[in-house]
Amino acid sequence: MSNIGRQLEIGPTDNTSDQRTPRKRLRLIPETARESFVPCVPQRGLSRQNEWDLTRIAPDLQRAEGMPIEVSGKLQNERGTPISNAMLEIWNANHFGRYRHIEDHSNLPLDERFLGTGRVFTDSEGNYKFWTISPGAYLARPDIGRWRPKHIHISVSGGGSRLITQMYFPDEPNNASDPMAILMGDDFERNIGKPYETPKIDVDCGLKFDIVIGGRNAVYFE
Amino acid sequence: MKRSTESVLLKPTNEDTVGPYFPINFSDPLLEDLTRFESGITGQAQGVPILLKGRLLDRFGELANGTLVEFWQANAKGIYRSPRHEGNSDIDPWFWGYGRLRAESGEFEFKTIMPGPCAGRAPNITITLFSDGISRIVTQIFFADQASNVTDPLLRSLNSEDQEKLSARHEGQTDCGAKIYTIDIVMAGENEIPFFDDLLREGE
Repeated sequence: MSNIGRQLEIGPTDNTSDQRTPRKRLRLIPETARESFVPCVPQRGLSRQNEWDLTRIAPDLQRAEGMPIEVSGKLQNERGTPISNAMLEIWNANHFGRYRHIEDHSNLPLDERFLGTGRVFTDSEGNYKFWTISPGAYLARPDIGRWRPKHIHISVSGGGSRLITQMYFPDEPNNASDPMAILMGDDFERNIGKPYETPKIDVDCGLKFDIVIGGRNAVYFE
Repeated sequence: MKRSTESVLLKPTNEDTVGPYFPINFSDPLLEDLTRFESGITGQAQGVPILLKGRLLDRFGELANGTLVEFWQANAKGIYRSPRHEGNSDIDPWFWGYGRLRAESGEFEFKTIMPGPCAGRAPNITITLFSDGISRIVTQIFFADQASNVTDPLLRSLNSEDQEKLSARHEGQTDCGAKIYTIDIVMAGENEIPFFDDLLREGE
């Protein structure tokens, strides 16, 4: 056991990271207070029937612009035990790199057929699946020409886990300069979806993204 | 609480920043007011209602807008709604003890009940922050007017200055009579509050 808390790192070229990252080492938690820090997130929430399909706002509406993709994978803990009935909250930018979030003030085009948010639940084997539009990359720091690579945000809660992560795409030119990818180092590999073939009827391709809940994001009283 | 030290463990997926655009349409008013249960039913959380008002500040003293704040706490009898306490008769069926809100400006108001004392601990609320530029950070907030603070093991592990930074102060009450507590959560820099290392390492 380490007797010194972690020092968090600041994402290079990320101004907000510089403003908000604690500078002091994290404090150690006395053993008697440990349990209270375990994420206590009840299984909850609802998802409308069509929310697994982000490629259209509602089943009676047309598909959004861009490349429809499938993202699927298994949610499990470090021992490989599936985590069932957990909620995944998903959000991603549209084909042009714009979020339909009222605080996204970029001038990139909105797509009237794309909402870009959805919620799905893992099944009894921990599997999940959703469709979305392959998101566009966008220029995050025009002053230095740094882009945010294509990514999909995924927030996992329930089943005793709490994790917010992002899935990236393979062979993207902007992956290497992304501040958070730089902090992950070699581990960044694990946050890249792995392409697979699909019948090409509903979606152009699939990306497998298995999520392992471990370390500080899991329940440990078993 | 021992974890396996076998090397066959899968490598965890990396956390990543929530970014600035956590969908506001994922908000749930019931997670911002734990004194209420779903509408239209008879049933209410036990305990003394309180209002926790907070400001999230960055290292320049600016509000950390768009931060996602999550809370978990024991019920009025000091019991967490966790698998460990399944079947415990002191579970309050009308209280989940988990809250979440997105602090659009960086200020927040969270309605809940005063948590009960739990196994040698002073009443506290665990607060976890997801914000642009960082992955999840976590701390615990205490209440300055609680006598049991002096024996709390977490508070006792800190110096008095840091203890004070984690203590919400009682300042007035709401129209409904709920005590208001206020806290400044400074995320970085000189007045930074203590954040805790909840990473479990192999062998722990």
